[in-house]
Amino acid sequence: MSTNIAKTNSNARTKAKSFFKSPARITLLIAGLFLIISLVESITGAVDITAPGTSGATLRFAIPLLMAGLGGLWAERAGVINIGLEGMMIVGTWTAAWFGFLHGPVVGILAAAVFGLASGFFHAFLTVKIGIDQAVSGLSINLIAAGAARYLSGIFFPPVGGDRTVSPPVETLPTFTIPLVADFFKSIDEKDIFFISNVSGLIYGITRDLSVVTVGLLLLVPITSWILWRSKFGLRMRFSGENPMAAESLGINVYRTRYIAISVSGMLASLGGAYLALVASSVYREGQTAGRGFIGLATVIFGNWKPSGVFAGSILFGFTDALRVRQADSVMALIMGAGIVALLLSIFYTSSRRWKPAGSYFAIGLVALWINQRVETIPQEFITVFPNVATLLVLTFLAQRLTPPAMAGMPYKRGSE
Amino acid sequence: MQLSNVSNVLEVIGVEKRYPGVVANRDVSIQIQAGTIHAIIGENGAGKSTLMKTLYGLIKPDAGQIRIFGKEVNLKSPQDAIELGVGMVHQHFKLADNATVLENVILGSEPTRFGFVVKYDEAREKLIEIAQNYGLDINPDEKLSNLGVGERQRVEIAKVLFRGAKILILDEPTAVLVPQEVDELFANLRELVKKGLTVLFISHKLDEVLSIADDITIMRQGTTVATRKPENTNKKELAELMVGGELPKPKAGELKISPESFLKIESASYFRADGRQILDDVNLELHGGEILGLAGVEGNGQSELIELIMGLIKPASGSVEVLGLDAANTLTREIRNAGVAYIPQDRQRDGLLMTAPLWENRILGHQFAEPMAKSIWVNKSAAIQDSKRVVDEFDVRTPGINVLASALSGGNQQKFIVGRELTGDPKLIVAAQPTRGVDVGAQAIIWEHLMQARSRGAGILLISADLEELFSLSDRIAVIYSGKIVSILNPAKTTPEDLGLAMTGAKSA
Repeated sequence: MSTNIAKTNSNARTKAKSFFKSPARITLLIAGLFLIISLVESITGAVDITAPGTSGATLRFAIPLLMAGLGGLWAERAGVINIGLEGMMIVGTWTAAWFGFLHGPVVGILAAAVFGLASGFFHAFLTVKIGIDQAVSGLSINLIAAGAARYLSGIFFPPVGGDRTVSPPVETLPTFTIPLVADFFKSIDEKDIFFISNVSGLIYGITRDLSVVTVGLLLLVPITSWILWRSKFGLRMRFSGENPMAAESLGINVYRTRYIAISVSGMLASLGGAYLALVASSVYREGQTAGRGFIGLATVIFGNWKPSGVFAGSILFGFTDALRVRQADSVMALIMGAGIVALLLSIFYTSSRRWKPAGSYFAIGLVALWINQRVETIPQEFITVFPNVATLLVLTFLAQRLTPPAMAGMPYKRGSE
Repeated sequence: MQLSNVSNVLEVIGVEKRYPGVVANRDVSIQIQAGTIHAIIGENGAGKSTLMKTLYGLIKPDAGQIRIFGKEVNLKSPQDAIELGVGMVHQHFKLADNATVLENVILGSEPTRFGFVVKYDEAREKLIEIAQNYGLDINPDEKLSNLGVGERQRVEIAKVLFRGAKILILDEPTAVLVPQEVDELFANLRELVKKGLTVLFISHKLDEVLSIADDITIMRQGTTVATRKPENTNKKELAELMVGGELPKPKAGELKISPESFLKIESASYFRADGRQILDDVNLELHGGEILGLAGVEGNGQSELIELIMGLIKPASGSVEVLGLDAANTLTREIRNAGVAYIPQDRQRDGLLMTAPLWENRILGHQFAEPMAKSIWVNKSAAIQDSKRVVDEFDVRTPGINVLASALSGGNQQKFIVGRELTGDPKLIVAAQPTRGVDVGAQAIIWEHLMQARSRGAGILLISADLEELFSLSDRIAVIYSGKIVSILNPAKTTPEDLGLAMTGAKSA
């Protein structure tokens, strides 16, 4: 009896899953989304939303968040929360700039990876071996990293042409434009055809002036997915986060697994920092990370502890960042877009007679459109705080569907029941 | 039926395990034949779990021999046991909810390509083959969070089969199951032995053991006392063997029962969140000046009954009246303030703050009343003073009252709790397993204080798994089985055998 119920349940789940797994449907969804954005753009005249510059900037803003997010993901999947991501990013910005200045940007990135690994190992040592509270350890890493960076900057930078808070400039890394593809989409973008040009502009924006580092770091998303769901280490890492007692009882060395995962976590966050110093700019500047480590943590929750979700979250947050920098008006247009999407969802739910979500989405849509009509300009502060608000909203509305690793954040001692 | 030359797949010869002050196993000898279901029964604390852990390599025996497939072995870890073909299905499942059945099964022995790529397809095929071969109904790609208890148990069984186990140890497998699930499990087990596997089945439910086992070994006080075949024995004999005839006679004490009823439970029922019925129409009445023992195998509803009395949960139907208060609609704090003392069964979880000093622990539960509190402030000097009194009166062995509760041994922690709870002449004392895990000396002290409280006119509800304790202290013994009070016995006119029978559901009055 109960077996049957469980099976029906799982059927419904697989159906829902297969809907989003079918590539055709996903493409359709994305296309629909773009249609709305194009529409909004032509109504409001906020042409910046789909300008090539915006998509390029989105990518540049998203990568550091993505790296912090993947770092958080690695740690939490193994069962340890990494509040120290921000500090590990600072480690990355500083070491990348300093070693980049001394030996060139490639060495800078390698140095960031090595020092990041070490900072992750430190977090693992504190939390796994010594058993310090995970939040305390992470916070102390943030404080140590910020303090050490300031102190070392004062010693090292002024004699070589930097100052107490800014490193001397570092040589930039090579960029490339994907041949043919970029040109092709550029030509279409310039023809200004509704929708098609918009999409092309976006693709052009992310295919030109690409840094090799960007491509390399983006590859870490599928690589992380592959490790988590295909490799032996990934399986063991997930169980270290879900049920370390079970893992231990089957002969798995939970401590070692966590050491590795958290060290990698530090390395990824640090690479995100290196990106900030060497790709997004060409110097180390104090406060350069600007809380991105914490936003990265937010993308982990937003992305439901999945690499693809973290990617989506960092793109979304990166996008809002890019718009803030480029053209604040666009945000208003986006709110209108969100309003339209909410109204469409409301219609969708009405048609399937699910009144509660239909009502809520209808209300959200109305509020969005009202803001769009009545509010003159969105304050800059609101845009800055958007990622935090979005994460809060996700937590509020989707909390029951989120599946965090069951033992993430809980102390674990070998041999405990 | 039995072939004359069946080999023993598992032999335990004279195994002994000692802990400081306790002998958990002594002179344990069992012979288990291939392709049989061998049950091991015994009371709580009879040494069953220690034996199982020994067989699974979790505990190293101090003496004796273990032979698996005729060869003497020296098990150092569960991995050794698994390699020799011994698999353990734990009573508490070790599974991850947020993973699939397949992932849970293969973890730790994943088939891999190049040593790091998991061959999920191959593993899935192997699991499906095992499932079909042994008639286990599981779907490899189902998320664990969608599964019920019975299915989870099948996953645990599949886990050990996947590792090639030939001998399965099931530790009280039916404790967590509802009757239909028990039937399914038994069908699975019969299928397993038909295919040549051997099952070692630990239980204390006589009915089940008689219906499923080919051989039954009885353990008592750390040793194996007898082995029977179900067709040559009956529940009565098994209960006698389990309990033994060596219990002391109830202690004669003058009885001054007051007419006032301190605790009155009327047809109370309680359901767990998953719909399972835990308490079924429970009726109990306790007067001042008497000790009412509540006997029963653990997990038959005792914990929930205690929580009902303390106002921690509400009955689905019926009423619970504690010192004239309706427990369902009264705050636990008010119930305690009315004069209810509570000695919880899990002292470390519910009775103490392990990382707080003793004098702070003395305040627990009395933090709102004089002398422990003075208006909104905690009265530290009174707490320190009274902690000293408790330490002296109850012979708590501690270097001082500033040490953390975790620094005390279990027995001394228990004495401290009993001392704290008996302070201030409570009218009703709910004592759950008050002497579990304490040594004989501490037991005597705790018993004496409980008897003193009784002669002062307190009503005591004594929940215990220790038959000796129940017989020594109780004026009446209520027996709880499957959430029902099945009988109320007079200890003077009852034999331990009768009580054992009632506790295992073999007889209801």
